[in-house]
Amino acid sequence: MSEPTVSEPDTTPDGRRVLGVVPGTPIGERKEPAEDDLVMVWPHLLVRHAVAALAVLFFVLVIAVLFDAPLRDIANPTVTPNPEKAPWYFAGLQELLAHFHPLVAGVLIPGAIVMALVALPFIDRSPWLLLRHRKVATITFTTFLVLWIILTLIGFMFRGPNWSWVWPWDEWHGEL
Amino acid sequence: MSVTEKPPAETESPPLLPGRDRFDQVRETRVGRSIWRGPRRRTHRDTAAAHWASFLLHLYPVKMKREQIAFRYSYYLGVISTVLLGSLVVSGLYLMFFYVPSPNQAYGNIQTLQTEVAFGQYIRNVHRWSAHMMVLAVAAHMCKMFYRGAYKPPREGNWVIGVVLLALTFLMSFTGYLLPWDQLAYWAITVGSEMAAYVPFIGEDIREILLGGPVVGASTLLRFYVLHVAVLPVIMVSVLMLHLWRWRKDNMLEIPTEEPSV
Repeated sequence: MSEPTVSEPDTTPDGRRVLGVVPGTPIGERKEPAEDDLVMVWPHLLVRHAVAALAVLFFVLVIAVLFDAPLRDIANPTVTPNPEKAPWYFAGLQELLAHFHPLVAGVLIPGAIVMALVALPFIDRSPWLLLRHRKVATITFTTFLVLWIILTLIGFMFRGPNWSWVWPWDEWHGEL
Repeated sequence: MSVTEKPPAETESPPLLPGRDRFDQVRETRVGRSIWRGPRRRTHRDTAAAHWASFLLHLYPVKMKREQIAFRYSYYLGVISTVLLGSLVVSGLYLMFFYVPSPNQAYGNIQTLQTEVAFGQYIRNVHRWSAHMMVLAVAAHMCKMFYRGAYKPPREGNWVIGVVLLALTFLMSFTGYLLPWDQLAYWAITVGSEMAAYVPFIGEDIREILLGGPVVGASTLLRFYVLHVAVLPVIMVSVLMLHLWRWRKDNMLEIPTEEPSV
């Protein structure tokens, strides 16, 4: 590092004086922002939220240009379509109904899922946050989540007339 | 600006002093002062005072931890769900102008909406795809909150409120599904409501109250319509306000981000 060069004291228009310009790295501690540093919500978070909001709105508005909402024939109580499908988010339940007694698949399992979700914070008393310290909770939750996604996909896409197995690339029976 | 420069000659506009730029000059003009009510806020203390006094911003804390505003912390799924709810309210209000919840008129209304009403088909598309995406976004939000451990003390209460919101989202979507009164709607609701009938002893009663009769019919359509456009939205927005209020309040608490020492 060379000697600091001191320029002639001069006055800027607002009356401040600059005593010198020093080449080299700054003296003193320059702090890199840490993870738990506090930042102003405006603009840091609000800009991010605005970008997320605009992105999802843009996505919806484009999808709505590309794909029309379905409209089948007028409702007719005397003509039952085959297969008869529930909305896609209940397709997992409908798939369960094909395998278990209705009391189990229609009442006990969904009731247990809702009760477990509500009670989760009171069942899982471990104070740990990192996933590697919460193996039991993580594995249990993930297992149920994956099972549920698989059941929903099967009920939504892989079931045809009389709830028989179909391949979605052969016959498409999913309804949105 | 070089420090050795001589002060500029007098001009009409005030000179650009260090720390001031053209934007400040614009704000100080007569028109600028009519748009911006005061000079630019520069210090954090000044900005925080503005934030604190703003009605629109009172939901947000003034400061948050850097890690809490990162994408990987939440994937912004809560914001995305809320924006989709807003999209659904706006598009849904438009659809309400052209819809009568009666089996004789509902289906024809949708056909007229799609063929004759300005932007009818488009707004219906926005409503339907927003609805499906909202179910996905809310469910994904719950999963993300699980994996982050956001249900741990002191946030257990808000997790339970979130589960209620998930259930309300399903109900909103389910009641709206019937309204087009086409074969898809009619039989999906028939299948869905049959599940309620499996509840022992009171299942049939639940189903009858839901449908307003033994099968999906005119009273079902009216009930689902009222639930869809009035009852459930009011409940949902109220519970959502509670959810956001709790989010804001719980944010002020010191959440241990470090692992507990054993």
